[in-house]
Amino acid sequence: MDYYFFIDLIQSLVDGLLFGTTYALIGIGFTLIFGVMRKLNLAYGAAALAGTYVGLAAAFVTPLPPILVFFVSALGSGIIGYIVYLGCFRYTPSSHPMAALLASVGMLLFIDELVIHLSHGMPYPYPSVLRNAEITLGEIWIRGDMLFVFGICVLAMVILYWLLYRTSLGLATRAVSQQPRAAQLCGIPTGQVNALTFVISGVLGGTAGAMTAAAVGVLSPIIAMSLTTKGLIVVVIGGLGSIPGAIIGGLMVGAAENVFQLLRGVTERDIYVMLLLFIFLTLRPGGLFGNTEGRD
Amino acid sequence: MLEIRDLRTSYGKIAALKGVALDIKDGGLTCLLGPNGAGKTTLIWTLAAILKAQSGSIRMDGEELIGAKPHQIVSKGIVTVPENRLVFPEMSVTDNLFAGAFSRRADKIAVAQDLEEVLQRFPRLRERANQDAGTLSGGEQQMLAVARALMARPKILLLDEPSTGLAPIIVEEIFEIIGALRDEGRTIFLVEQNANMALEYADDFYLLEQGLVTFGGKPGDVDHDELIQRAYLGTRKAS
Repeated sequence: MDYYFFIDLIQSLVDGLLFGTTYALIGIGFTLIFGVMRKLNLAYGAAALAGTYVGLAAAFVTPLPPILVFFVSALGSGIIGYIVYLGCFRYTPSSHPMAALLASVGMLLFIDELVIHLSHGMPYPYPSVLRNAEITLGEIWIRGDMLFVFGICVLAMVILYWLLYRTSLGLATRAVSQQPRAAQLCGIPTGQVNALTFVISGVLGGTAGAMTAAAVGVLSPIIAMSLTTKGLIVVVIGGLGSIPGAIIGGLMVGAAENVFQLLRGVTERDIYVMLLLFIFLTLRPGGLFGNTEGRD
Repeated sequence: MLEIRDLRTSYGKIAALKGVALDIKDGGLTCLLGPNGAGKTTLIWTLAAILKAQSGSIRMDGEELIGAKPHQIVSKGIVTVPENRLVFPEMSVTDNLFAGAFSRRADKIAVAQDLEEVLQRFPRLRERANQDAGTLSGGEQQMLAVARALMARPKILLLDEPSTGLAPIIVEEIFEIIGALRDEGRTIFLVEQNANMALEYADDFYLLEQGLVTFGGKPGDVDHDELIQRAYLGTRKAS
């Protein structure tokens, strides 16, 4: 292996790991919702994208600094998350698990169409920060805006950790995801916990959407598909229901994607990422941190 | 005092409770016996508002509770220790206990005091305070489930089959705990298969057969052997 290839490889890995934090956030969002409801919310990626557009729309109405655009994106996605909860999960019969799943597929297509219609299917520039800054470590250089993306995503995870493990809301969320019946008997209002989980996951998704758009510099409806598929791959690799799994899975997908891109080019990249999905589904279907046991 | 009158609950078209009537008196242990499938657990789930009653009434000191949500029932002081314990397996013993006090979370000082009190009562739980509840033995999990319910400061404690799946020596230990709670003057409603054991501690008992209370009284009032036979096997012919 010659020296320059080695440097390129390290560079790809570093970039991939930095950007992988956005995948990790999406994976965490899928996992949180699955945790409390035992249902997959397939509209999640689309809701995250729509939320990201809300931030951009706000910036059209009145000029906003980039940080505020990100913030409104995250908030918008939280609100859309709540709407998805009401539309697809709150009132669908729990005795028919397929109902909620298919409702969320419908919602995915609906939100996607709505975004394409309202944005005329055109990509729009999305703000970023520290675009021209960079750090050099020997032969490796790190883009300032990527470092910012990484920092925000890690911050979001730290806040989530605090919420889950240091507040009574977090205690309630963990209780509902481990044993919903007992949570009810402890006086935890499970419906409210479910709704709040959708909002929190939405905020995480909006943050991931905003950071994805900020890293690319452009917001386009195509991102919805990539958020959805990458998020699902992340939870398959990490193990659905596991937050550490989603973080490791996100970083792995980010790194693998960039290495495949280096080795095989951008057009073949996603093919190999998908192959990774099948390898995990076949050899380790529970994921890295997955719980293979059932629950009552 | 909890007054249950003409309570009906069904699963779809199948009626499980067909007009149950019974009283749970303050400061005593009321025991509900009955064979498998009589509707004992259905009654507990209905009292906890997890199952919706079709009709009838559940009054606590005169206040109607039908239509309340599960968390409202807990706030009113009716707290359930469910069958099979249902601890939160991947949460520490302490977090399980904090979850039990969720309805009182605003009052941090009192919750901390109660935690100390509960750990004093169950030294085994203190030893394992930081361990995940899923790693505890069955008996310890049952203690944890009782302790978790106590954290809600129950006015009425509903215990559903606390002896299920436990070794006889552990069952005795659990019943000693229940007896101690009764002796403190707590109001306890105990649903049990283990009729022999339950009648030793009960102040009043009822017999539930095929969704109806068919018999009730004080343990001393009745022929012990016949009652126990009925509690295990039932006497009413299947319709």
